[in-house]
Amino acid sequence: MPPESAPAVLPRPRLGPPPAPRVPAPARYALANGLRVVAAPRAGVPQVVLRLVLPAGSVFEPREHPGTASLVSHLLTEGTDATSADALHARLDLLGAAVHPNVGHDFAELEMVLLSETLAEGVALLAEIVARPAFPEDQTERIRAESLDALVARLDEPSNVADDRALVEAFGAHPYAIPSFGTAEGIAAVPREALAAFHAARYRPEGAFLVAAGDFDPAELAAALEQGFAGWTGAPDALTRPPDPARPANAGQLALHPWPDAEQSEIRLIGRGMARRDPDWIRASVANFVLGGSTITGRLGANLREDKGWTYGVRSAFSAGVQPSGWLAETAVDAEVTADAVGEMVREMRRLMDEPVPEAELRRAKDAMMLSLPRMFETPGGVAARLSTLEAYDLPRDWWERFPAAIEAVTAAEVQRIAREHFDPDGVVRVVVGKMEE
Amino acid sequence: MDGRTRVAGIARALIPSAISGEGDAADAHSPHPPSPAVASHGARREGRGVRFAGRSPAWKPTDEDARLTDTAASPALRFPVRTHALGNGMRIVHHEDRSAPLVAVHLMYRVGSRDERPGRTGLAHLLEHLMFEGSLHAPKGQFDDLLERVGGTNNGSTWLDRTNYYETVPSNALELPLWLERERMAFFLPVLDAEMLEVQRGVVVNERRQSYEARPYGMADQRLHEMLFAGGHPYAWPTIGYMPDLEAITLDDARGFYQTYYTPGNAVLVLAGDVGADDAFALAERYFGDLPPGPPLPPPALPADPAPPADVRHELMHDDVSFPRVYTAWAVPGYGTREWVALDVLAYLLSDGDSSRLQRALVREGRIAQDVDAYLYPTALSGVFGVVSTARSAVAPQALEVAVRRVLDEVASDGVSDDELLGAVRRARRDQVGELATVEERAEALAYAATVLGEPEALERVLDLYATVTAEEVRRAAEEWLGAHRSATLVVVPRPGTEEVADAA
Repeated sequence: MPPESAPAVLPRPRLGPPPAPRVPAPARYALANGLRVVAAPRAGVPQVVLRLVLPAGSVFEPREHPGTASLVSHLLTEGTDATSADALHARLDLLGAAVHPNVGHDFAELEMVLLSETLAEGVALLAEIVARPAFPEDQTERIRAESLDALVARLDEPSNVADDRALVEAFGAHPYAIPSFGTAEGIAAVPREALAAFHAARYRPEGAFLVAAGDFDPAELAAALEQGFAGWTGAPDALTRPPDPARPANAGQLALHPWPDAEQSEIRLIGRGMARRDPDWIRASVANFVLGGSTITGRLGANLREDKGWTYGVRSAFSAGVQPSGWLAETAVDAEVTADAVGEMVREMRRLMDEPVPEAELRRAKDAMMLSLPRMFETPGGVAARLSTLEAYDLPRDWWERFPAAIEAVTAAEVQRIAREHFDPDGVVRVVVGKMEE
Repeated sequence: MDGRTRVAGIARALIPSAISGEGDAADAHSPHPPSPAVASHGARREGRGVRFAGRSPAWKPTDEDARLTDTAASPALRFPVRTHALGNGMRIVHHEDRSAPLVAVHLMYRVGSRDERPGRTGLAHLLEHLMFEGSLHAPKGQFDDLLERVGGTNNGSTWLDRTNYYETVPSNALELPLWLERERMAFFLPVLDAEMLEVQRGVVVNERRQSYEARPYGMADQRLHEMLFAGGHPYAWPTIGYMPDLEAITLDDARGFYQTYYTPGNAVLVLAGDVGADDAFALAERYFGDLPPGPPLPPPALPADPAPPADVRHELMHDDVSFPRVYTAWAVPGYGTREWVALDVLAYLLSDGDSSRLQRALVREGRIAQDVDAYLYPTALSGVFGVVSTARSAVAPQALEVAVRRVLDEVASDGVSDDELLGAVRRARRDQVGELATVEERAEALAYAATVLGEPEALERVLDLYATVTAEEVRRAAEEWLGAHRSATLVVVPRPGTEEVADAA
């Protein structure tokens, strides 16, 4: 064989203009009972994703029983006034349908994933479990007991302990401080009648919405929804929200939770964020992207992971909420370098406050965010998620069309202002679970 | 993670609002896990084996009754591909889908942890990490940076049989990942140095701690595979590698592994999405056609199938956990065989859906377990079928073992019903459809079929088998492959003195 010569050096390719993003233009309508529907059909994989979103998150549950909202959502599939739990699961499983309840602080979501060929049957079942759950005692006690075991098990993980502590530090007396799945005390004590009452008060078609994405016939969907949800009526009880969370009481301080023999420390730096509807949301997203929105290339990742090799990953994010929620930077690092890692994170936060972000770095963040738009709408699940956001937070319907221009408009001065308002180390609590020697 | 968790969002408490997977400006860019390894990626998604799935033309049902009784009513999932081989042996696969302006580039090498030698476990995965650290004309930092700037994503993963590198970009940027992959295929060794190795060794050591050692039950899979594949089988060791081996890996090890396996003839390149076949093949020729084929690979050593043990393999492991968890696994026929598909259907029939056999026996009716999951790895030399369940409080793990065994014996002796089979096949199809909704996932499935089954078209053949599997084949799979004498069982129990403090209630 002749000796191999080195391959030619090819120039880095010059790229043409990016493709115009294609954002779905969904149909919006309301059923006779007031349930809003957002339908975005697209031929492709024979899958339909239905997301029913209700204003039934944990902030609305009785303060004495944290966990009510979560238990209610998990009991929806455990029997209705017409069908036993076992029969319900047999029907869902024969269809091949998957139902995932997901309860956050503001909203309860029920996602159903169906094969296109089972749409009508699936919608009928979804309507039955949402509108007519029976909360049978036997299943309620089983789910309650399983939930209590799961709550014990999750505290085996230092990362969960760190998350819980961060919520408390960030939100104090606001219900965002309590995990949306509740507490052991609340789950153990909440009476079955209170679950039924929460459902009756919060699971109503007015104020809720359903997003459908995937491969379906819009007329078939509309007919199935109208028929399936026909007997479900009313509006949720009007409830006032608690005042917005205050500045963290222990801002600037360290909250250390020792974990014996830990080889890694879990670090959470948590501070005040903003409501999802806040006009600063896009600016804040760009500022965060520069700092830690990208695990490897963000300033935190470039420093702690790529330069130091202290961690497998580090990231930061603003959380979406109806009320101002948190901003969080999180990582797990070698226990020996815990203090150094916190110091480097703080240094990066301060650097973004003190120095305007260089134009090239800002350009890069903007491009990365704008040009990722096509991926965000690639799957039925992605389409459903993006459209749900608009409905849930009452954002303009052309939000995604305007997204690239909104990103483009962000300036270095705005990034610096956001950094000063949200990334100031004196405004965040430093939660460490593990080992740390000062 | 193993099994399923009952309480919504319990794994991640810190997402203050409810719109899950919202992924808008704030978090669309962040979930990208840094160069992952092994079971965290590619091995088990949501506790199940990797599911391959596909795309089918829009289909409208015409016969209401047929839908509920006949899986044949569901159309076959189709992945049209065209293939081409470069002069240096590199195989190119093209799959067109113009529905989004995106292209997925997937480069898969037929090398994984099974190709390592004892004492150097973890080498394949550590090399994968190094591959993101730059090349001669795209120095450190540029790889992620250039791709992010064009709105692309990238990642890589290492598993038992293969290592993959992949990018998804808006279609105008297709040439960028091709150029970057060419770069690290042709110009990686000149930049590989000791400092780079030390930093990535640190990252991988932290990955091992975070994902395995410090995670409850995190060391169970490693021990289970050691038990199941005793006697020198290369599936015995973990892809992440043993800690002393990670510490021992040298620059020469990394160079040698790269030179041996990262050659055009050992690679499959898939281009999927918004690109035509002619363009795809011309670009592949431009960016890879001139690369030297490299030294011929030694034929892979094919170990004998793991022998059924003389005695039942059963071990106890202590961990910092609150509840016992029971793992049982079997070595079964490899990915793509008819038996493997029957076993996959059986896994769905056993634990996917609340009416499934194990959910009923252990969780809903038996009430001895918090969760139970049956899974099947799509590995090549041998599949791995597993059942994992976590005890409820005050339940002894032996009760779980007995219950699982009883369910498997019932299937083997009495068989399964037509409705159970139909539901299981549908649920498998639901996941197949969902997991191949993106061009990135489709590219991976095609690359995997080409890598371990010889050609990308094999993917459709595997998927088609689901429609023809019979109840008798499912029964026989349980009888033939999931006997007690063929199993390895690992019981993880709380460390003495740290039993569950109380049931918190």
